[in-house]
Amino acid sequence: MSTSETSILSQRVQSLLAEAIQVPGEMVTPDLSFGDLPQWDSLGHMEVMLRLEEEFGVAIDADTIAQLISIPEICRFLEDNGYVQ
Amino acid sequence: MCSDITGKPVPGAAPGSSELNFAPAVPIPDFLTGEIQSKLAYVDEHILAARVKEDQIILKIASAASLTPERQAELIEKVQRVVLSMAKGAFKPKVQVLEDHLDRRVPFRFDPMPELLASSQISQEANGLFVLGPLLTRLIAYFESQFIALADSFQAVPYRFPTLIPARYLERVNYFRAFPHSLTFATHLREDLQVIDEFAQHAACEHSELQTPPNSFAPIQALLSPAVCYHLYFALADQPLPRGQVVATAVGNCFRYEAINLTSLERLWNFTMREVIFVGAKEFVLENREIARQRMSQVFERIGLAYRVESANDPFFIGEFRKQAAFQSAFQLKFEIRARLPFKESTLAVGSYNYHQDFFGRSLNITLPDGSPAHTGCVAFGLERIAFAFVAQYGLDPANWPAEVREMGA
Repeated sequence: MSTSETSILSQRVQSLLAEAIQVPGEMVTPDLSFGDLPQWDSLGHMEVMLRLEEEFGVAIDADTIAQLISIPEICRFLEDNGYVQ
Repeated sequence: MCSDITGKPVPGAAPGSSELNFAPAVPIPDFLTGEIQSKLAYVDEHILAARVKEDQIILKIASAASLTPERQAELIEKVQRVVLSMAKGAFKPKVQVLEDHLDRRVPFRFDPMPELLASSQISQEANGLFVLGPLLTRLIAYFESQFIALADSFQAVPYRFPTLIPARYLERVNYFRAFPHSLTFATHLREDLQVIDEFAQHAACEHSELQTPPNSFAPIQALLSPAVCYHLYFALADQPLPRGQVVATAVGNCFRYEAINLTSLERLWNFTMREVIFVGAKEFVLENREIARQRMSQVFERIGLAYRVESANDPFFIGEFRKQAAFQSAFQLKFEIRARLPFKESTLAVGSYNYHQDFFGRSLNITLPDGSPAHTGCVAFGLERIAFAFVAQYGLDPANWPAEVREMGA
């Protein structure tokens, strides 16, 4: 995946995350991690997981939930699971 | 949506009850049948019992509910709301077993409740409320000595907390949303001479319910505390953590209303919990939680308890269950000590090793020296439950107990 494709994916994940945890888009930076914003707490995190499953059609198991704790990690997971633009 | 519905009195049902039998709106995975079954206790006051399987739900309904077709439809709709909320799109929990000593040989196989009642070693005051006699009281004192020794091994500082907890405290840690079903409220008469006089003249119990004149009670400011450690977190709130870390211990009465799930000493409305509580940096809390588990493993080996330590989740209410339970499981935040109950080939949670991440640190503004929120964790033991599990494994005759327990005066 090229740098620009990665960037597009990151933007899409940022946008999904902002909606899931109900914060303005500009608060979600490309390197944001779980806990950096009070809204990205346990409930917020699970909302993000549910939306990732819905929007990207991926299955997220309990092991993965604990790994997807930053936007770069989420992007890497989606790329590894065959996400294509 | 539903098939195989029956709403008539059935031969197997208790006198004065009917059975309602229908399919869940979505299949219920194995790992959720127990959780959903326990939540059905809160769906309707007329549900006497509930049984949940993957493809079938059976409710026992009090005859007073007069099971008309409309009433059936209403009950089923409420149950399906629970099923959909908890089972649809549920994340399968990751079960991690840290210790497994369930096959430890124990000499007793019978339900100790009948003998405890018959010998007046316990007596029941009401649903979920039991008086414990000398046998279990001494046994609990023995277990307490072991838990206090654990606390001492960490140089835990002792605390005494009130039985009541302010409502605003529980609100601040989201308790009302997470566990509304198990709350127990405390109130008092309004400070009004007429109200107090009328109450004194007319208050009377009808069956087990207190009948009072309307508008007797003041608004609720406090509840009966559902846990011990919350009090410590509030005592530390809105300030930097002294010396960057705290280890404390306390024992206290706890209250969790569990409706029809309140059975025997396994599930009490009013129970006692001993906790060892860690507050500090993440590594400090996690390391100490693990050290506590290892130390207790040696204690349980000496006692000869048959048990397992496995990952678990708290009994969140329906709205938050799916997400919170999955989160706890994914991050391995809670491990329960599940003692074997040989008489029913089942296990009972008698304690837990918990890590809350920085939830309380953030919610209550407890800060580390670097300004970041403190992490918290606790090790908690249910005193009545561990005593019950012990007599379920070793019986009521101290002659059959392990020497360690017998010789310590229990």
